[in-house]
Amino acid sequence: MISTDLLLFFIASSLVVGGGVLVVTVKNIVYAAFALLVAMLGTAGIFLLAFADFLALVQILIYGGAVVVVILFALMLTRIEDFKGLTDNSQKPLAVLASITVLTIMMYAIVSTAMPSSKSDPVSMIDLGVNLFQDWAIPFEVASLVLLVALIGAVVLVRQDDEGR
Amino acid sequence: MTIIHFQFLSAILFSLGLYGVLARRSAVLILMSIELMLNAVNINLIGFVAFRGFGQEIQTFGQVLIIFVITIAAAELALAIAIILRIYRNKNSVNVDEMNILKG
Amino acid sequence: MDLFQINNLIWMLPLICVFAFLSIGLFSKFLPSEGAIISIFSIGFAFILFIFVLIDFISGDLAAIHSSFTWIDLGEWTISWGLLIDRISIVMIGLITFVAFLVQIYSVGYMKGDSRFGWYFAVHSLFASAMMLLVLSDNLLLLYFAWELVGLGSYLLIGFWYEKTSAAEAAKKAFVTTRIGDVGLLIGIIILFKATGTFHISSIIHAAQEGGISNEVIFWSSFLIFLGAMGKSAQFPLHVWLPDAMEGPTPVSALIHAATMVAAGIYLVGRMFPLFELGPGILVIISIVGIVTFILAGAIALVMTDIKRVLAYSTISHLGLMMLSLGSFGVPAAFFHLVLHGFSKALLFLGAGSVMHGMHDQTEVELMGGLRKKMPITSLTFLVGSLSLAGIVPLSGFFSKDEILISIWEYNSWFLPITLFGVFLSSLYMIRLYCLIFLSTARSEYAEKAHESPRTMTYPLIILSILALFSGLLAFPFPFTGWEGFAAFIDDHHKFHMIPWLTVVSILVAFSGAFLGWVIYGSRRIVINNISSPLKFLYRLVFRKFLFDEIYSWIANKIVFTFSRWITIFDRVIVNDTGIDGVGNSTKKSADILKYFQSGYLYNYSLVMVVGLFLMAIAWWLVE
Repeated sequence: MISTDLLLFFIASSLVVGGGVLVVTVKNIVYAAFALLVAMLGTAGIFLLAFADFLALVQILIYGGAVVVVILFALMLTRIEDFKGLTDNSQKPLAVLASITVLTIMMYAIVSTAMPSSKSDPVSMIDLGVNLFQDWAIPFEVASLVLLVALIGAVVLVRQDDEGR
Repeated sequence: MTIIHFQFLSAILFSLGLYGVLARRSAVLILMSIELMLNAVNINLIGFVAFRGFGQEIQTFGQVLIIFVITIAAAELALAIAIILRIYRNKNSVNVDEMNILKG
Repeated sequence: MDLFQINNLIWMLPLICVFAFLSIGLFSKFLPSEGAIISIFSIGFAFILFIFVLIDFISGDLAAIHSSFTWIDLGEWTISWGLLIDRISIVMIGLITFVAFLVQIYSVGYMKGDSRFGWYFAVHSLFASAMMLLVLSDNLLLLYFAWELVGLGSYLLIGFWYEKTSAAEAAKKAFVTTRIGDVGLLIGIIILFKATGTFHISSIIHAAQEGGISNEVIFWSSFLIFLGAMGKSAQFPLHVWLPDAMEGPTPVSALIHAATMVAAGIYLVGRMFPLFELGPGILVIISIVGIVTFILAGAIALVMTDIKRVLAYSTISHLGLMMLSLGSFGVPAAFFHLVLHGFSKALLFLGAGSVMHGMHDQTEVELMGGLRKKMPITSLTFLVGSLSLAGIVPLSGFFSKDEILISIWEYNSWFLPITLFGVFLSSLYMIRLYCLIFLSTARSEYAEKAHESPRTMTYPLIILSILALFSGLLAFPFPFTGWEGFAAFIDDHHKFHMIPWLTVVSILVAFSGAFLGWVIYGSRRIVINNISSPLKFLYRLVFRKFLFDEIYSWIANKIVFTFSRWITIFDRVIVNDTGIDGVGNSTKKSADILKYFQSGYLYNYSLVMVVGLFLMAIAWWLVE
């Protein structure tokens, strides 16, 4: 008898794996972007199942809202019709081999490692906030600085060259 | 639902992402594959956090760590997209086959 | 650590001049009078410091002042750098600082208007400080460093006017010739280090006296060290560089001949004398080299017609006399002569510089004559210097020469007649030089228009001539002052004494030489050609300086260069083409092949990363 949460886990992980497979296989790049969105939403479900409500929210907001949209913009700006028929490169067989090897290694490592498993109590969002802004305040600020630098860097990189200069 | 499930899911997703990075030709698709790999890492992390039986404090720390990973991923994505746009403007293509000026 | 303790203060002696060298060398354009002031002040400060150290040294019952720090500590043995003030080095420091100080003051007038005025003083400071470091060093390694620095200083100063080919050549000659000796010195030092495990001079001497070093090692190491001294002190057969060193500015010659460069060799032998004493037969070698140099150089000085060359050969000759004295256990006498000769020779060179200054840089004595009236101060002081070197009675040179003769009589009596002949020669050529320059009438228009030099040049002359007049009195013990004569100051075992008959003979020989010189060149009662024509062959041989230069250049051209040519082929083919170019070419070839691994494709690189990951996993699995 499959318990409810395991059932939910399988549904979410099928979303994740299915989305992932589509991302790396479909020919149409726009479909790939939407498949990525599906995989992200599945990941958010996984977070929910692991009692990380806030993370699920963040996942949906950042990936669903921001990342996929940015990627779609990028596709639009780089004329998607060019991509037809050039989705995969010449070392595809080697890529299959390499990823299957890596998967095997990781599976072997997971199976061969005895992993005690017990459920923990969920973390309240208040605890998370207090922890983030008290103990991790400086790394948090540094991360925000990294974001700022990335933002400025992106602006500098994509800015149109000034003709008059 | 145990920690093993999370680890398997994470391994599969990571391998898919790796395959995408190695096999895809478009820079944007490679970028998406990298996002998949980052998500695989996050899934692995959250599995450990929730089902390893740590105390409250370590659990909170694990979630904070995932927040940072997401933050850095966002920053990385922004820059990568910017670089792709720049390359597209210079070479009129995002095909990594054509970006081989490092060739010896 | 108290900086102003006397044994730390002695580091200031060399360092102050190094400071002068650096500041003038780097900033001479921005300094008043291009930095000459700094140089003179620093050497003057060193001289004042010397006086303080001297007072401290004497009030400390002549106990050695020592200061050292560890440079390299390798567990089993350490290399330390230390300075040592003892009886020998204090004398040397006094001589160096005093002469260098006077020479620098003199140089202000002499070098006026030279395009590299500041640089001259910078190198001067470097030279003086290297020499001070040399005499202060308490270990052979530091001494060798200073030794090479002295060589560098002499190279820079002799070749100061390097636009002149002859000056550049002379500098090169001095450097290469002394280098032959330096190699010997270095090997000797290494042999001693291998035998004793220390560079410390007193430890080495102690070990040798305890019998810790075998006789062969002592012989070879002291012979090699003596080779170094031969090079620096211009002993036969490595004397050829010194006469050519005249190409430098004349004050430089004064410095080299009186206080620095050539004194180094005498100092080294004196410093290592306890070791030399133990080496079988080494003192005989020193004596023979010394006396051969003494006579040969004296003979050459007799026929030279260039004022500076006469003085140069005179220096070589007197250095030979000092070596002879060292070889006859006369260490105090040698140092006494070194100091007194230093004063006189500095005086003579500065006087010669003054003459040249008045003569528009003419050095040929045939063009001079009758300068006595036109340059009264120079003439008088030059006369004092000449008489002192000639060994005429009340002047200083007489006393030191007398002490040397006593040493020779007591330990090496076989050499005495030849030495007396050398003394005769030296008084003859000094008087000849004086007569040719200053007496009779002017023989050229330069001489007629000659004029006296400025005061910065004449004052040092006067000071030095006073010293040349009276410093010989230091040989005597002064009652009530505790001064027991110079010889006793250097070495307690040497009590002041005289041998009356020897003194009389010495006086007679010196006077007869001087008288003969005056008769031939002063009053011209004997015409020189009457004597020299029967001995024409001998005269020509001496005038060609016994053909040393010719022999050496023949050896260099025929043997060394032929050998070098073969070495060059080895160097071209094996070292250069195969070794160096081979390495370069193989790198280039392999890079040509390897560059094809750089496909430039992003996904190739990431695949290689995965392969690396895979290999790491295997390695991990194997270790587990």
